[in-house]
Amino acid sequence: MNPIMETQAITMRFGGLVAVNEFSMKIGANDLIGLIGPNGAGKTTIFNMITGHYLPSEGKILFNGESISGKEPAVITQGGIARTFQNIRLFKDLSVLDNIRIAGHSRLSYGLASSIFRTKAFHEEENKLRAEAFELLKIMKLEHRVDSLAKNLPYGEQRRLEIARALATHPKLLLLDEPAAGMNPNETKELTGLIRWVRDHFKIAVLLIEHDMKLVMEVCESIYVVDHGELIAHGGPKDIQNNPKVIEAYLGTTEV
Amino acid sequence: MDYFLYLTQMCGIFIILAVGLNLINGMCGQFSLGHAGFWAIGAYTSAAFTVFVAPPLPGFIVLFIGCIIGFITAGIAGLIIGVPCLRLKGDYLAIATLGFGEIIRIVIMNMNSVGGPRGFTGIPQLSNLFWVYLWVVITIVVIANIVRGTHGRAIISIREDEIAAESMGINTFRYKTLAFCVGAGFAGVAGALFSHTTQFISPTNFTFMWSVIILLMIILGGMGSITGAVVGAIILTILPELLRFFGDTVSQWRMVIYSVILILLMMIRPTGLFGKHEFNPLKFLKLGGKS
Repeated sequence: MNPIMETQAITMRFGGLVAVNEFSMKIGANDLIGLIGPNGAGKTTIFNMITGHYLPSEGKILFNGESISGKEPAVITQGGIARTFQNIRLFKDLSVLDNIRIAGHSRLSYGLASSIFRTKAFHEEENKLRAEAFELLKIMKLEHRVDSLAKNLPYGEQRRLEIARALATHPKLLLLDEPAAGMNPNETKELTGLIRWVRDHFKIAVLLIEHDMKLVMEVCESIYVVDHGELIAHGGPKDIQNNPKVIEAYLGTTEV
Repeated sequence: MDYFLYLTQMCGIFIILAVGLNLINGMCGQFSLGHAGFWAIGAYTSAAFTVFVAPPLPGFIVLFIGCIIGFITAGIAGLIIGVPCLRLKGDYLAIATLGFGEIIRIVIMNMNSVGGPRGFTGIPQLSNLFWVYLWVVITIVVIANIVRGTHGRAIISIREDEIAAESMGINTFRYKTLAFCVGAGFAGVAGALFSHTTQFISPTNFTFMWSVIILLMIILGGMGSITGAVVGAIILTILPELLRFFGDTVSQWRMVIYSVILILLMMIRPTGLFGKHEFNPLKFLKLGGKS
């Protein structure tokens, strides 16, 4: 099967620092893949290159067989790659409903004049968007929060809203940047189920950065490990757990 | 002209200016300090139209065309200034727009055809209370409708978090420019109404101080609230005049008292009178209207 997203030896340099070096990966259309590594290994840099926030110094990123490196983040999102952020970036002072509706922006086609004169097209498209948003909030178990401001939600629900908002852009590939950060064991467990369910229900590919090894080992079918910007291992959860290079990267070597 | 009538018209003109700037600063979060420049462009282009080109049509039609010309020219100026400036953020954007505002004023000062530093005289008084407040209503309805549609949500999302907005598929640069142009355009309308109210305009009417005062109006009312911008504009237009009527001592100290009132208000309510809330008269009167 053709991969939906592929990075071909992408390298990111910041001045003299090589943050990511010739990183290659392939993601299939319905894969659930983990990206792990110690702090500062370059995981988020890889995310930022895929989503267009950074332009890779070298290498190519293919999405659906087309090169996307050099495109604007907004264009890449419209093409079908959505993301969440390590430190939650919701539209804090807006309602939960508005957060979701903003993500549907690029699907609406009515013009500014329709908005000013409140034409039929405006009402039709807005009503449709509203209904879609309600449905999404319902399946993400956030419907009781429709009118709350995003900043007033408890932490776990904010994480869930961020995932819901990313889903509202109708992605084919969802990038989750440390979704379990700051969660208690119960919330993490719930999240584990949610990630798997989202993948199956929306039939999308998911790429996950996470430090919670229990979560990664439980949900990911395939794992890429990076350290100091280099890919050091790739394989199923079992292989990764026993890979000496991975153990070395996380725990260090014994000095004799 | 009657002093109170003049003051009421000025209130309307400042409401248009404040509601327009609120779209740029309060809704989109782009700190612009060049609003007086766009105001000047509208005032001068519409006055030049009325004095030099206007065909013999009824006054209100000439004024209406003047307002449209003011909107278009100021909107285009907003586009020309916005495209390079809106790549800047925060303080840098404020300084760049401030600079452009002053450039506009100084260019006008050196244009002899519109009077240069002596000012532009002989503008017919075509504006009146009705036309000013008609434009106030148009401004509020247009901006409120933009804000409550998908384009407005895109504009507001930029204020909330620009990086997240980009990641939601919103072309942030395009919507920043849109907000900037619409805001500037309405400043141009306010300029057209202003020149046809006072009948005399000079570059000193449009100094940087006025950009600051318009900014004060929206900060006082609450950044991001249209209602706040309206109330802020009314208070800041009337308050310094009102203080004239409390005897000689107050009258002499009125600018000091005015400043102290502003400082106190900001200390008591740092988010402005309305914060980000709106007062919707239709909703209030139970005539419908939904969010």
